[in-house]
Amino acid sequence: MDWLFFTEVTLAGLGSGALLSLTALSFVLIYKATRVINLAVGEILMLGGYLFFAFVTAFGLATWLAIPLAIAGGALFGFVVERTLIRPMLGESSISVLMLTVGLGSVLIGATELIWNTDPRALPDFMGQAPVFIGEAYVSRKIAIGFVVSALVIALFLLLFRFWRGGVALRATATDQAAAYSCGINVPAVFSLAWMVACATAAGAGLLVGAIGGISPTMGVFGLSALVVVIIGGLDSVLGALVGGILIGLVEAWAGTFLGGEYKLVTTFSILIAALMIRPYGLFGTVEIERL
Amino acid sequence: MTSLNRRQIMGLAAGAGLASAFPGFTAYAQEKEIVIGGSIPLTGVFAFAGVAIEAGMSDYVKLTNEAGGIAGRKLRLAYEDTAYKVDTSVAVFNKLTTQNDIHLYYGDSTGFAKTINEELNRRGTILMAGASFGSELNNPEKYPFQFMAGPDYVEMFAILLEYIAKAQPGAKLVFVNSDTEFGRDPIEASVKRAKEMGLDVVAQIVTPPTAVDVSTEVLKLRRANPDFTIFHGYVLAPLPEFMSQAKQLGLKTKFMGTFWSMDNSLWANVGAPADGFMGVMPYRYYYDTSPDAPILEKIRKLRPTYQATGYMQGFLTAMLMGEAAKRTLEAGKELNGKTLKAALNSIKDFDTGGIIGVPISVPGNSVPVGRIYQFNAADKQMKPASDWISLKK
Repeated sequence: MDWLFFTEVTLAGLGSGALLSLTALSFVLIYKATRVINLAVGEILMLGGYLFFAFVTAFGLATWLAIPLAIAGGALFGFVVERTLIRPMLGESSISVLMLTVGLGSVLIGATELIWNTDPRALPDFMGQAPVFIGEAYVSRKIAIGFVVSALVIALFLLLFRFWRGGVALRATATDQAAAYSCGINVPAVFSLAWMVACATAAGAGLLVGAIGGISPTMGVFGLSALVVVIIGGLDSVLGALVGGILIGLVEAWAGTFLGGEYKLVTTFSILIAALMIRPYGLFGTVEIERL
Repeated sequence: MTSLNRRQIMGLAAGAGLASAFPGFTAYAQEKEIVIGGSIPLTGVFAFAGVAIEAGMSDYVKLTNEAGGIAGRKLRLAYEDTAYKVDTSVAVFNKLTTQNDIHLYYGDSTGFAKTINEELNRRGTILMAGASFGSELNNPEKYPFQFMAGPDYVEMFAILLEYIAKAQPGAKLVFVNSDTEFGRDPIEASVKRAKEMGLDVVAQIVTPPTAVDVSTEVLKLRRANPDFTIFHGYVLAPLPEFMSQAKQLGLKTKFMGTFWSMDNSLWANVGAPADGFMGVMPYRYYYDTSPDAPILEKIRKLRPTYQATGYMQGFLTAMLMGEAAKRTLEAGKELNGKTLKAALNSIKDFDTGGIIGVPISVPGNSVPVGRIYQFNAADKQMKPASDWISLKK
């Protein structure tokens, strides 16, 4: 056994798993607050990548300015979508809202093709090219940066949910909307906040994913991989997104290396099926109890 | 002044209604034309190519009609978007062939070409080409009414291998392909061919279709440490990241690709990591000012900005379809799959106006010619790295 090689593969798996976790977080934030599964997360991730691209190339902004602007653009998009599309759907069946997010994803792809055309593109380099070594083990620089950013963001969210008033309000709303109302929590504002933060997170993930794999109108398919993560981790669990992402990242890296690239997705979806059979609400998700 | 009575007005109205309800009905009344049908991916994962293909085909139609058409008939392109989905492509095919008298058709994928083949054989009225260079389609017995305007994927690999065998005999190779039908197509046959040519395929790396991060694949590449790495089944991603990480690790391997990953503008955006990327290209690039390429000069006048490789593919496909139709009509034969394919196969040492740098022949279902180009990041251009290579069967 070549332990150095195994360590390098494991580090690569941790890095790509962290990216999945960050994207999965966007699903979790919205579901936790509003019980909506937003299937347009992948396309919002794509939007983040294209906004960054536009700010740097069309507007000539420096990358340090373009990054927060792209993330803010994601937040603004989340705010507009929640106020104009999601809020009027309150009280409608969850399938209707789910289909609305599917439609939203299609509209975003179409708009992107119209504005930026259909060509795949490479994002301007903002992470540098120098390799990173942990001891003797090589890690791709972009993956290392992606891991650090994802870990920091997820840690921040865990702390915010525990200690910040807005985070506590979100948890309260997720637990019982009527009770949250009666405690004076502005529930519609919590919905807005959840959409804004989740879309900003997805846009930020889009920058990292775009920096590694380039941007194209079809890059939103990455969101589907993250959906697998949240189903395994639990749709309403931030910790589940973290653990699920890392688990899938590691398993894919090991399967791809020791079995072959063609086994990556097979392994992932086998885990998904097993998880659905054993813990259908996810590793860390809330067990829904329905009483008649 | 002529006055119309009520009966005449009613008759005219009925005729107009019939004509608008059944477009095919009017075809007989119109001047005879040759319609090229098309299931073209203007949206979806292959849209970057589809948009360029449509532009290339439309320009060929325009230039041909300006020059008087084909045997006195005007050309017309009738197409719809398929989003690169086989079921949509089939629906578009059925719709267009019902509404128009179509004998030439452009399909968007290997999947569609295989699906529609039985129907083409049953009808026997249409000659089809398309965006696919799938090696399975390069079989005149199984696919008698289809062709491709370039080498199939196995032939593309063969051209690359021929170049490598000359440049570095006995070189070590790694094949990297996406886990798709497109990606897997040439691998098995090319491993065998490489061995016959004295080249050593030391590893094969497969990436899932949705791969973003390729760190683990780069680690495998480092272990294999090849002289040449050949990618297939990709357009752009994840090639730049692959190359960038390999350079970080100090690998000296030369990276190569096949036709759909050879577009100049895509690599121009990548910048420095793209420097030195090589690949097989069946056509000249838009900006090539060689004196024996008058058609490129015409294209540049028609479209002053760079046109992607898909444009050349669409243009040449329409040109070969037009040439087959011309030869069929000039021989006094009716247009159908059999006569058109026979006319296509009669093409020998044909001058493409410089789209391909050597005269071409279409002995079977493909045009087994290509040239190696290499990307120069400083000039942001693909530049020729070899002469034109014509494969001998």
